[in-house]
Amino acid sequence: MKKQKQPFLKILMIMMLIFFYLPIVFMIVFSFNSSKSLTHFTGFSTQWYIKMLNNASMMESLYVTIIVALIATIVSTIIGTISAIGLSKSKKIVHDLIMQINDFPIMNPEIVTAIGLMLFFITLNIEKGLLTMLLAHIAFCIPYVILSVMPKIRSLDPNLADAAMDLGCTPWQSLIKVIVPQIMPGIVSGALIAFTMSFDDFIISYFVTGRGIKNLSIMVYTMSKRVNPSINAISTLVVVLITIVLIIVNVVPLLKEKRKTQVTEMKQKKKAPKIIAGALAICVFIGVVFLGKSVSSTKKYDGQTLHIYNWGEYTGENLISDFEKKTGCKVVMDLFDSNEQMYIKIANGESYDILVPSDYMIERLLQEDMLQPLDENQLDCLDEISDSVKGLPYDPNNEYSIPYFWGTVGIVYDKTKVDEKDLEKEGFNIFLNQKYKGDIYLYDSERDSFAMALKGLGYSMNTDDEKELLEANNWLLQCVQTMQPEIVTDEIIDNMAQGRKALGLIYSGDAAYIMSENEDIGFYMPKTGTNIWSDALVIPKNATNVELAHEFINYVSSYEGAYDNSSYVGYTSPNKEVMIDLSKTDYQGISAYTPIRQNDQDEVFKYNAKTRKILSNYWSKIKIAASNARG
Amino acid sequence: MKKFSHLAVPYIVWSIIMLLLPMLLIVFYALTDSGNAIINFSFTLENFRKFFTDPDFLLVLWRSLSIAIKTTVICMLIGYPTAYFISKCSQRVSNILVLAITLPMWINMLVRTYSWIGLLSDGGVLQTLCKILGFGSPQLLYTEGAVLLGMVYNFVPFMILQINTSLAKMDKSLLEAAADLGANKFQVFWKITFPLSLPGVISGIALVFLPAVSSFFIPKLLGGGQYFLIGNVIENQFITAGEWNFGSAVSVIMAVIMMMSMYLVRYIEKRNSGQEKEKKV
Repeated sequence: MKKQKQPFLKILMIMMLIFFYLPIVFMIVFSFNSSKSLTHFTGFSTQWYIKMLNNASMMESLYVTIIVALIATIVSTIIGTISAIGLSKSKKIVHDLIMQINDFPIMNPEIVTAIGLMLFFITLNIEKGLLTMLLAHIAFCIPYVILSVMPKIRSLDPNLADAAMDLGCTPWQSLIKVIVPQIMPGIVSGALIAFTMSFDDFIISYFVTGRGIKNLSIMVYTMSKRVNPSINAISTLVVVLITIVLIIVNVVPLLKEKRKTQVTEMKQKKKAPKIIAGALAICVFIGVVFLGKSVSSTKKYDGQTLHIYNWGEYTGENLISDFEKKTGCKVVMDLFDSNEQMYIKIANGESYDILVPSDYMIERLLQEDMLQPLDENQLDCLDEISDSVKGLPYDPNNEYSIPYFWGTVGIVYDKTKVDEKDLEKEGFNIFLNQKYKGDIYLYDSERDSFAMALKGLGYSMNTDDEKELLEANNWLLQCVQTMQPEIVTDEIIDNMAQGRKALGLIYSGDAAYIMSENEDIGFYMPKTGTNIWSDALVIPKNATNVELAHEFINYVSSYEGAYDNSSYVGYTSPNKEVMIDLSKTDYQGISAYTPIRQNDQDEVFKYNAKTRKILSNYWSKIKIAASNARG
Repeated sequence: MKKFSHLAVPYIVWSIIMLLLPMLLIVFYALTDSGNAIINFSFTLENFRKFFTDPDFLLVLWRSLSIAIKTTVICMLIGYPTAYFISKCSQRVSNILVLAITLPMWINMLVRTYSWIGLLSDGGVLQTLCKILGFGSPQLLYTEGAVLLGMVYNFVPFMILQINTSLAKMDKSLLEAAADLGANKFQVFWKITFPLSLPGVISGIALVFLPAVSSFFIPKLLGGGQYFLIGNVIENQFITAGEWNFGSAVSVIMAVIMMMSMYLVRYIEKRNSGQEKEKKV
C-alpha cells in the first residue's frame, strides 16, 4: 500500500521511539558519569560499574530476579499446560468456576493480589522469603499460561487423542507426542508472558518477600530515594543482557531461515528453549561470579549468614564488605525508612539478627518483650562509646542496646534564601511563614513531624494531652494546606545539597552531610527545644545467629567500623574517638556534626501506646490532605 | 479423552488455595477489627464507613480514577495512530517496530521509571530543553504531569501492541472491497478499519486502565512523597501504618470498582460484537 504518504504518522512513530528510548539512553549515558549528578555529565568513568560489582546485594538482586523468573516460568508453563488440557476435558461447571478463579490475578489490581498473598502467608505462618516469592510468582504466572494455551486446545480436533490411542499410543504418549506439539505455539507464548511478568514484577514481590530477599525492582525501589548512579549501571547491565537474549532469539532463527527456508514451524518451537538456554547461560555466568567470590579461606563464621534490618543509606561504604572479609560470614541487609515500617515486619514474626531502631521504638520493643539482652561477655565495645549516649532512658544500663548513631532534629536552610532572623524569631513556626511557601521540605515521619509541631506550639513532644495533640495536628494541617511543602525522606539530602529549596526539617547527620557538600547551607536548632534521638543496635528475641550479631555490634562500635560509618554517612558517631577525630577533619566547622548544646527544652522520645495510635492516624490523614491540597 | 480431566485436579486444589483463599482473607480482614492477629475478632463495617465518610479518602479515590482515565485516553490517542502506522508498514518493518516497542517492556518498569527522575529533575535535560524553547524553567518532577507521563510511558506499549494485533489480523481484502465500492479513505477507516480494531482497543483499555488505577510506585517516584493515589493509601496502611483491616477494606473497594469496570468493558464489547452480527444478518 501507500508508504510515504503519511508524514504525520511517520513523525509520530519517530517521536514514540524517542519517547520509549530516551530514558534508556539517558540511563546508559549517566551510568558512565564521573560524578554523582543526574543532571550534568561531567566526564567518562566506570566507577559506578565497579561499585555495582562490589555491591553484593545489588548483584544478588539480579541473581534472584533471574532465578525466580526462570523457575516460575518453567513450573508455571508445565503446570499451566497440563491443567489447561485437563480443564478443557472437565465438566463445564468445574471448568467455568476454575476459569473464574483463574481470572483473579489478571482482573484484579496487582496490589490486591499482592496483599491477598501476603495475608495468606502470614496467616499460615510461612516465613516470607525466597520460597514465598516463588510461590507467589508461580501463582500469578499460571493463569497467563492457561489463558494462552486454552484457545489452542479448543481449536484441536477432540478426537485427536482418541485416534492416537486407537493407533496404540498410551494416554501419556498421545499427550506428549500428539497434543503438546499441536498446541506448542500457545505454550511458547504463555511461557514468554510468564517470564516477562515474573522478571518485571515489583508489587507482588514487594509484599511477599522477606529475610532480605529482593529482586531488582525491590532494590531500585528501596534505593531510589537518594541519587545512586549504580542503579543506572545495573540497569544498563540488564538492558545489555536482555538485548543479547532478544537478539539471539530473533536474529538466529532469521539467519537460519535464510539458509534453509523450510521448517517454518520449527522456528517457533525453538524460541522457548533458546530463551531458556540464554537465560540459563546468564545464570551460570552470574553463579560462577558468586561462587568465585564466596570461595575463600576458612574463617570462624564461614558459611554463616547475618540478617540485618537497618535504615536506608545508613552504613559506611565498606562496612559490610569489611565485616564479611573479617569474619567470613555473609551479610544480608534489608532497609526500612521508618521505625513503624520496621516494627510491622518484626511484629509479624520476620526474623533478623540485628535491628537498628530509634529510642522510642526500642522502648516499645522492650515493653512488648521482643528483644533479648546482650551478652556482656561477648561485648568489648562499651568503653569506646561516649558517655553522652550511654544509659539513655529507654535502656538505662545498656543491657539491650548499643548506640549506632545519634543526633538531633533541626532545620536545614539555604543561607542565601532564608533570613536567619526569621529562624531566631519563629523557630519551627517558620514552616508556617508564607514567605517560604512552596519552598520547604517536611520529613515523612510521624514522630518528628509532631515533635516539630508540638515544639513550635511550645508543648512537650511527649505530651499525651489530646487537646495538645489535636492542636499539633491542626498546626501540621495548616502547614500542608497553605505552604505546599514537599513531604520527603532521604530525597531531601541531595535536593538540599543542590539548593533546590529554602528550608526543611532534617536530622542533624543528614545536615552535616549536606553542609559538607554545599557551604551555603546552615543548620539551626530552635530555642524552644528539639528532639535528641539515638538509633541503636539491638538483637531481637527470634534472632538465629546471636553470636555473630554480637560480633557485628563489636565491629560497628570499634574505631575502624565507626569511622567508616560516620565519615561516609555524616551522622554523629557514638564512638568517642571517632567523633573527636571527624569533627577535626571531615566535618571541621560543621555544627550539625556535633549537635550538643545545653537546652532544658530538648527531649528524648518516649513510647506511649495511646498517643502512637493517635499520631499514626493523624499522620496518614495529614499526608493525604497534603496530596489533596496540591491536586 | 475424558481421561485427561483428572489432570486438572492438582490445579483445582492449587487455585482454590493460592488464588481464592487469599481473596477471601482480604474480605475477612476488611470485615473484622481484630488488628493484625486474627485470634479474637468481631465483624464490623467500620472500615468501610471510615473510608466512605471521609472526604479526603474519597478525593484520593477520585483522583486515582481521574488520572487513570486521563492515562487511558492519552494512550489511546497516541497508541492508535502508532499501531495504525505499524500495521501499514511492510511485514519486515512492522516486525522490527513491534520488537522495538517490546524491548523496553522487558526492562524493569521500576528501572525505567527511575531514569525519568533524572530526566525530569530540576536542571535536568528536559527542563533545560524547556528553557531553550522559551518556556522558562517549570518544575517537572513531583507534579501530576510527571505521574501522568510515567503512567503513559509504562502502559502505552500495551495499547499499541493490542491494537496492532487486531489491525494485523484484519482481512485486507475488506478494505480493497470497500474502496472498490466507492468509499473514500476516510470512510474506509471509519466504517471498516476502526470497528474491526475495536476488540484490540478495548483490551488495550483494560490493560492500561487496570494498572494505572492501582499503581503506587509511579506516583511515589515521580509524584513525590506528598502525591497520594489509592494504591499509595493501601501501601501506607500495610507497610507503615499497620492498619491491615482498613487497608484490606480499601483493597476490597478498589477491587470491586475494577471488577465492575472490567465487566462493563466486556459487556460493551459483547454488545458491540452482537450488533455487528445483527448487521451482518
